[in-house]
Amino acid sequence: MKSVVFEDVSFQYGNLDQPTLHHIDLVIDEGEKVLITGKSGSGKSTLAHCINGLIPFTYKGEFKGRVLVNGKEPSQLSLFAMGTQVGSILQDQDCQFVGLSAGEDVAFALENDCVAPEEMQVAVDIALQQVDMLPHKNHPPQSLSGGQKQKVAIAGILAMDVPILLFDEPLANLDPASGKKAMETILDIHGKTGKTIIVIEHRIEDVLEHGFDRVVVVDDGKIVFNGTPDRLLAEDVLPGYGLRQPLYVEMLKLCGVAAREEDRISVLENTVKYKDQVLKKYMEDRFTDQRPNNRTILKLQGVSFRYFKEDPYTIEDVSFDVKEGEMLAIVGNNGAGKSTLLKAISGIAKYQNGSIYYGAENQQGEAGNESSSSPVGMQRIDTWTAKQRALAIGFVMQNPNHMITKDMIYDEVAFGLRNFGVGKEETDRRVKEALKICGLYEYRNWPVSSLSYGQKKRVTIASILSMGPKVIILDEPTAGQDYTSYREFMSYLDQIKCSGIGIILITHDMHLALEYADSGVVLSGGRVIAKDYMDRILADNWIIGKANLKHTSIERMGRLFGVEDLSSFIAYFTRRVTSKTCAETGSGKSESRQAAAEREEVSHE
Amino acid sequence: MSKSGSLYIERDSLFHGLDGSIKLLMLIAWTGFVFAFMDARVFLGMILIGLGILKLSKLPAKAIWPLFVFIFVFTLFNSVFLLLITPEYGSKLTGSYTDLISLGVYSITLETVFYCFTLSLKYIAIMPITILFLFTTHPSNFASSLNRVGVPYRIAYAVSIALRYIPDVKTEVENIINAQEARGVAFRKGDAGLGTRLKNYATVMVPLLLSSFNRIEVVSNAMDLRGFGKNKSRTWYQRKKYTGLDMSFAALSFAVLAAGIVIKLTIGAVYWYPF
Repeated sequence: MKSVVFEDVSFQYGNLDQPTLHHIDLVIDEGEKVLITGKSGSGKSTLAHCINGLIPFTYKGEFKGRVLVNGKEPSQLSLFAMGTQVGSILQDQDCQFVGLSAGEDVAFALENDCVAPEEMQVAVDIALQQVDMLPHKNHPPQSLSGGQKQKVAIAGILAMDVPILLFDEPLANLDPASGKKAMETILDIHGKTGKTIIVIEHRIEDVLEHGFDRVVVVDDGKIVFNGTPDRLLAEDVLPGYGLRQPLYVEMLKLCGVAAREEDRISVLENTVKYKDQVLKKYMEDRFTDQRPNNRTILKLQGVSFRYFKEDPYTIEDVSFDVKEGEMLAIVGNNGAGKSTLLKAISGIAKYQNGSIYYGAENQQGEAGNESSSSPVGMQRIDTWTAKQRALAIGFVMQNPNHMITKDMIYDEVAFGLRNFGVGKEETDRRVKEALKICGLYEYRNWPVSSLSYGQKKRVTIASILSMGPKVIILDEPTAGQDYTSYREFMSYLDQIKCSGIGIILITHDMHLALEYADSGVVLSGGRVIAKDYMDRILADNWIIGKANLKHTSIERMGRLFGVEDLSSFIAYFTRRVTSKTCAETGSGKSESRQAAAEREEVSHE
Repeated sequence: MSKSGSLYIERDSLFHGLDGSIKLLMLIAWTGFVFAFMDARVFLGMILIGLGILKLSKLPAKAIWPLFVFIFVFTLFNSVFLLLITPEYGSKLTGSYTDLISLGVYSITLETVFYCFTLSLKYIAIMPITILFLFTTHPSNFASSLNRVGVPYRIAYAVSIALRYIPDVKTEVENIINAQEARGVAFRKGDAGLGTRLKNYATVMVPLLLSSFNRIEVVSNAMDLRGFGKNKSRTWYQRKKYTGLDMSFAALSFAVLAAGIVIKLTIGAVYWYPF
């Protein structure tokens, strides 16, 4: 039995002048686990719309060819009838959670089917049990995490008992640990029910590590690859389409491994036969770790914040330094206190304890001067309001659409300066400079709406940069961007960093932190549990476990190969992938890794 | 307002146990009854009964007090405007003119003052039962209650969706304001004049509307895909069968409503003036 059949399908949205899908032929068998991938705008979501019936019922356009879902043509049925064939999980967990509690949300489809309340109670309990969410039955969405909301959505689909489950970017809004659990839940359901699983996702590594039968790569509206994960990885398909390979596969390729489909490298353990080849390359690497030690520009000392007096602290006793020209990653999972910390630094949340200092530190006064409370050359900014801090510390939100209020790019970037009453010429100079750094100068007279998501993100950076801050904080800077735009975006950030600005990345993306951050601060339960280089953090089992981070596949491969110094193995990889070196800024001396590294155990518990 | 965006306060009381639709029915009957009169004695009596009901509902006074303050202020303003605009309206009803303040042709009569007092009592009389409905009905039961008293489910469900997304939108507004504030836009008192600040709030609307439209699209897709609107009716997960208690209160409500209608039709809402 075929679950889904595409026969020469082309589709063009009514409001676009180019077709999004071109002559798609695809067969998905019953019970298969298929990953459909491709970069943003490749047409993979449109493909999903053709399966769940949103095309042709909600999104109108010109449709050619034939789609069969469980042997039936969607266009001959209704959107509601399609709902009994395909259960869809959308990427936005908040928008698809329509109930006021977990139980209600699961019951939503049953209610619409006029199932009797008593019957519904039983069915909802069973479905919630299957995804391990029964204890949360009466919880409102506001008290559930993204991962939990997604599990509820999955339970809602299970309660409908549909044969095909379709996941549209299920990992997009989840932190890695929740993403992993979500994938485990999906596969567990596949194991129990044998339903057809179709996952649309560009985070390929996170899907493939769970063992999929087939990968379909879509590029520019056409299917460019359709085969097993082993063949996909062996044939080196992904880089050509702007997609990222799993990190360990990248490492193998860097070390000159030529794997074939039969080598089955989609399973990490099967790479053990390349151990000698990889380790030989790694041992040849001669690299003395000299990292620049610039002046501190921002210093947090014992910062604590709680929302209400009777509540426990959301962040507690947080201390760390940000240096000029440093990219610092603050990592940790949802609920670790990352966003609260961001609010504290930007002045939105008034922290109850601790201090923040800003300004270039003068290190001459450093030695033995413990009595002085304020670091030399730095200003205490605890009393500065969010507006006052804006000129010193820029804050770039995760969603660019929350920041952009002007129609034209130039105006958007000039907005902050105009608010602060900066003169016309000065504004013009600074806007143009910021646009140049962000690669948007040619677009300065374009409307913002004509830009892609990644470009809009850059506009928001430019609009902050133009205000001349010495520190920029970015909240999940690469969320919602595919690999190509991620790379491009980060290279701009790297340039900004090299101009001497301190950059703080708040992220749960370990790959991002590993590849671009000079160092990392790990938050767990509101406390700093480690301050170190990212490669060391991600080599440390204790930290990974404590902060509930995700093991990178590089680290797992290193362990498989029995590498003793995992952190330098990881660092070797990072250096090979991102040759990140600023042109010598001249200032700053080097410090040894030992001195820079410090780790704080949580004192209580 | 709680984190969930509703006014519901969890307590173990007689009224919490009633079905939401019954409380809605009570509200309708009570309001209907109140509007059958223009009599301060009746209103005072109903306010006392209402307060007794609130006492039984075990709702914390602290939570419902602001609403009372609001309605007091509202009726006060209402009365002042009434007095200024129609200073002799009460006298027209009673036919007697007792001048309190007289400025030539313009005079405010005692009858009108008492009329305003009665009218204020009328509004206040509706308060307790409204509070009862709002504070003791779990948000999950709101939509199904509306539907149960005859509102089509598609409209009733809109209430549920609104309750669902109010907190999300609130967070979003906060985020946007924070982002704009960090770029020097003034929102606080002292940063800029009222006019500028209002204008600045308007700029928040641009991103908010854009993201709301996007949200609406996704939410409606999610609802479509799960069959919302498939049938002429739908069942409700949270809906319970009516209990004996529910039925008694329903019967009581109908009786009160009927009494109100009868009084209105026979006697009419005659303005009672004691002096």
